[in-house]
Amino acid sequence: MDGHTHQHTSDRRELQMARSMCWHCQSEVSGEYFCDRCVKVQPVSKELDYFTCFGIPRRLALDQQQLETKFYELSRAFHPDFYQNKSDAEQTISLGNSAMLNTAYRTLRDPIQRAEYLLDLEAGSVKEIRTTPPADLFEEILELQDTLDEFRASDRTSDAAAALRSQLQSERTALEGRQRDMETQLQQLFGRWDALQDRGEATDQARTERDRILKDMRDILSNRTYVKNIVNDLVATIA
Amino acid sequence: MAYSDKVVDHFNNPRNMGSFKKDEEGVGTGMVGAPECGDVMKLQIKVQNDMIVDAKFKTFGCGSAIASSSLATEWLKGKTIEEAQKIKNTDIVQELNLPPVKIHCSVLAEDAIKAALADYQKKADTK
Repeated sequence: MDGHTHQHTSDRRELQMARSMCWHCQSEVSGEYFCDRCVKVQPVSKELDYFTCFGIPRRLALDQQQLETKFYELSRAFHPDFYQNKSDAEQTISLGNSAMLNTAYRTLRDPIQRAEYLLDLEAGSVKEIRTTPPADLFEEILELQDTLDEFRASDRTSDAAAALRSQLQSERTALEGRQRDMETQLQQLFGRWDALQDRGEATDQARTERDRILKDMRDILSNRTYVKNIVNDLVATIA
Repeated sequence: MAYSDKVVDHFNNPRNMGSFKKDEEGVGTGMVGAPECGDVMKLQIKVQNDMIVDAKFKTFGCGSAIASSSLATEWLKGKTIEEAQKIKNTDIVQELNLPPVKIHCSVLAEDAIKAALADYQKKADTK
């Protein structure tokens, strides 16, 4: 994880914005959320990715503290409460920016959601590498679903139900273990992704490695969702 | 958001739920999933003389996914391979009145049909 570097308020200037002109005074806005000249709040562009929005590098390991600090800073800057006496246009911008900021923060805060989001950003090539459905896992899930149905239909006080419950309980333990394994694998992939980005090579080999990592991440994230869903169902049913 | 009557009907009385043995003569199996929501769908067809004589499904997912696959099996029965290829997810959306957020369920059902047909074809070709 990157060390926390001292932040100057002028760092905000580094933030990119698609809109280069102030909506109010038409003067040039160079990467500020507020116009230099008329001090009006500027809308955060929809094309701005969440990493850029927070002024942090597009990496899968991130400094939570830095993210939080930036989130609070921007929250204060955009909070609708501070725009109650301002024009309708400014109120709308403040509301839009706040909503975007909250979504961005929630997404980046969670490592899984962060990875899903990164995959979406990098999707260009990933969508082409369509994942092959894990047929074995699907069979297993559907079979487990049958056992769950059987348990749901059973007389809970019967011996048969007790046997089913303990079977489902051990399935649950096994699946939770697999979910943890997948999360470990993801952590390793995240590390490889970040290292690759840090090296910043533009060779064919680097591109192949990049696509490989993205595809593996996509696969594991998908499988993790399938497993998580069935585990949730298991927990809800045998609880 | 309320489900349409047709979705509820298929959900409460799913048609053709179950499965065939994968290696059975004339059986094609389609296994697909939606990584975004974690739904899993298995759809199987049984073909005799180029005609789908039976179809079964098993779905782990929401009501719309179950209804979509249930409806798909109903439609598949009695169709030729060629006719089955023409079933589109939009037909399912229309029949079940699926709202925009549930369109991916019908896409999943179409994918499952395509996968089952492809699996049948592959098995038939290698014979």
